[in-house]
Amino acid sequence: MSVVGSVVGFMIQTLAVSSIYILVAIGLSITLGTLKFVNFAHAAMYLAGVYIGLGIALELQFSGDLARSIGLGNVGLDLGFLAALAIIPIITFGLGLLMERFVARPFYDRPDTDQILVTFGILLIVQELIRAFVGGRSLTFSRPAWAEGAISLGPLGTYASWRLAIIGITSVLVLAVYLYIEYTDVGLAVRAGTEDTEMVNLLGVRATRPFLVIFGVGSGLAGAAGVVGGPVFSVVPEIGVGVLVPAFLVVVVGGVGSIVGSVVGGLLIGAVEVGLVMNAPTWSSVGIYALAAVVLLVRPAGLMGAVEVDE
Amino acid sequence: MAENDTQSRRDVLKTAGAAGTVGLAGLAGCLEGGNGNGNGNGNGNGGDGGSEYPALGNYPIEGDAATLGFNVPQTGPYQEEGADELRAYELAADHLNNGGGWVDLWDDLSGDGVNGYEIDYVTGDTATDADTARESASRMIERDNAIMYSGGSSSATAIAQQGLAQQENVLFMCCLTHSNDTTGGDCVRYGFREMFNAYMTGQALAPIVTEEYGDDLEFYQLYADYTWGQTQQASMRQFFEEAGWSEVDSVPTPLGTDDYSTFLQEAVDSGADVLFLNHYGLDGSNSVSQAVDQGINEDMEIVVPLYNVPMAAGAGGSIEGVFGTDGWDANLDNEPTRVFAEAFEEEYGSTPSSPARLAYSATMQYAAAVERAGTFYPPEVIRELEGYEWDNGGIGEEIMRECDHQTMRDILVVRGLSEEEQDPDTGRYWEVVEQSSYPDAVGYECDSGPAAECELGEYGDE
Repeated sequence: MSVVGSVVGFMIQTLAVSSIYILVAIGLSITLGTLKFVNFAHAAMYLAGVYIGLGIALELQFSGDLARSIGLGNVGLDLGFLAALAIIPIITFGLGLLMERFVARPFYDRPDTDQILVTFGILLIVQELIRAFVGGRSLTFSRPAWAEGAISLGPLGTYASWRLAIIGITSVLVLAVYLYIEYTDVGLAVRAGTEDTEMVNLLGVRATRPFLVIFGVGSGLAGAAGVVGGPVFSVVPEIGVGVLVPAFLVVVVGGVGSIVGSVVGGLLIGAVEVGLVMNAPTWSSVGIYALAAVVLLVRPAGLMGAVEVDE
Repeated sequence: MAENDTQSRRDVLKTAGAAGTVGLAGLAGCLEGGNGNGNGNGNGNGGDGGSEYPALGNYPIEGDAATLGFNVPQTGPYQEEGADELRAYELAADHLNNGGGWVDLWDDLSGDGVNGYEIDYVTGDTATDADTARESASRMIERDNAIMYSGGSSSATAIAQQGLAQQENVLFMCCLTHSNDTTGGDCVRYGFREMFNAYMTGQALAPIVTEEYGDDLEFYQLYADYTWGQTQQASMRQFFEEAGWSEVDSVPTPLGTDDYSTFLQEAVDSGADVLFLNHYGLDGSNSVSQAVDQGINEDMEIVVPLYNVPMAAGAGGSIEGVFGTDGWDANLDNEPTRVFAEAFEEEYGSTPSSPARLAYSATMQYAAAVERAGTFYPPEVIRELEGYEWDNGGIGEEIMRECDHQTMRDILVVRGLSEEEQDPDTGRYWEVVEQSSYPDAVGYECDSGPAAECELGEYGDE
């Protein structure tokens, strides 16, 4: 493979690895930036995206102990993947609103440790409920027929069609959210609130509603990430926790409250991961933590962030 | 030091308990001594006071129930295997107490407990992590007074647990562990393994795979970066290079990796003809699925050296045409297989996997050895297991070798079916290409292979 081919191949691989992280991280980052709320339960939206998405696209097998004891069988709408991709963000947007109202809001003025404990607890409860109803066995989330197999890009290598589709879907979703926040009144209020919530309130702008909406938007993105990530990895209840850690590192590296920061952070973490796999595979799992540590030491607010995580 | 202190404390408690039970003449005499086996236990002095054996590990048992520990991965990349193992362990305990399953087939077992004791059990979660497994096993020994414990996968957890077993003089019956080290460099007197190992997988796979794909091919290996994956890739290299193939590269991947796409891209770029995916459990499902997604099967042949049903179910149609090995199949045509599979299906509504059979078999083997020994005293049970030969475990004739506690046995070489041909209801995900038999196709002498590095250690009664 030529040098150009290797570089482009590396970039494609980086984009493919980064996409899911970015989709999940944006919601985390916005919530942390606007509401100063550390929301580990965000990963529950990813879980909802995977499992409910599976039920919408195909069929969800309820083989957990609790489901068996109450005689719950398989449930599936079999509407196909695109239907799931369209419906899930709406569902998780609604779940996000509920979460903001009943979980996040009572904890806005509480210490970070309280927020972490309650939201991580919620994530674990959701995870175990899934195990009780669906079971611990891995499920297969078949990718749509139009994205099966691989595509050869000539000298740039051969890539799974679905990976390339994920890059495309992620790009569209991230761009849509970016435009929404940059060019709408809601987005303006959110950006202003991120800079100085108190001043926004003093100016008579009711920041609660835009924040609520943006909480839901972040949840919708996480749900969409679940749908697009479902066909890539084995579907098990622990995938929520599995995706939470790298997504949180993306926020740390990219900076809190910044969509661009999440994209840059995600790409950087993806690049480090891919680079280490190619050159020093035994270090691949620790590389992203080392990167986050270096960024925190050199630039505590993250690469694109205005405020430090604990401010 | 702390563990030694704990051991001493437990021994003191044990001795005190034994002294106390002497006064309960006749009450517990029905326990160890109840089988009339001539061990001198039936003298009405109670199970402890009447034993001809000294206290060792968690022997003698206090009360009228013998506690077994089932320590499996309930979380982590091997959780599916662990869940199936746990189901089988619980089924085994039920059969030992109430009859059914292999208890009705094996002459040594009665279905009325074991050696006069009811079988009780505790469970633990190893989280597919060696340190967690050791801590969980330690709790079983210290807190629950387990007389035997069993578990794995992974091999790292099994090796950690059997090291503890040797130290604490409590038997560990390995379940799913495929590393050469388990009965090689890390073997112990207090650990027994029915599962075959990576070395034997190499022996079974190499002739069949090289005949299928041709001579002088180049292969590339990805392997899970811990004891199992390391010995697995070493054995693949040894046997396939002996068969005339050559290795291009061998790359470690962290246990629990979700995304193999970059590793796989490197494999494609290597230009090798064959790709060995030395991954297992969820990792195996992910790596083979992602390899097929990436179109690797169009340029390379894929081999997954160690299979099982949950892993194949997770990978779905991706395993079509992919060679591998497994220890047992619920669709084999023999009576022990039928009896176990039917009992499992009746209880849980699903077809048992090979790890489930290993768990069930490990419990039964231990119980049968106790019955033959007429005591739970660990050194005597160990001597009963050593050199024991049996053919009622559903996979032909087996022998538990005395020299390394490795079972010599047949191995199934299998090849994945297409998604259309697979039948989840019967657990049929592959065709059995060959039952590679011991000693014709697989196996090794006590002074060669992994056994050459094995030093078992003390019985504890020397």
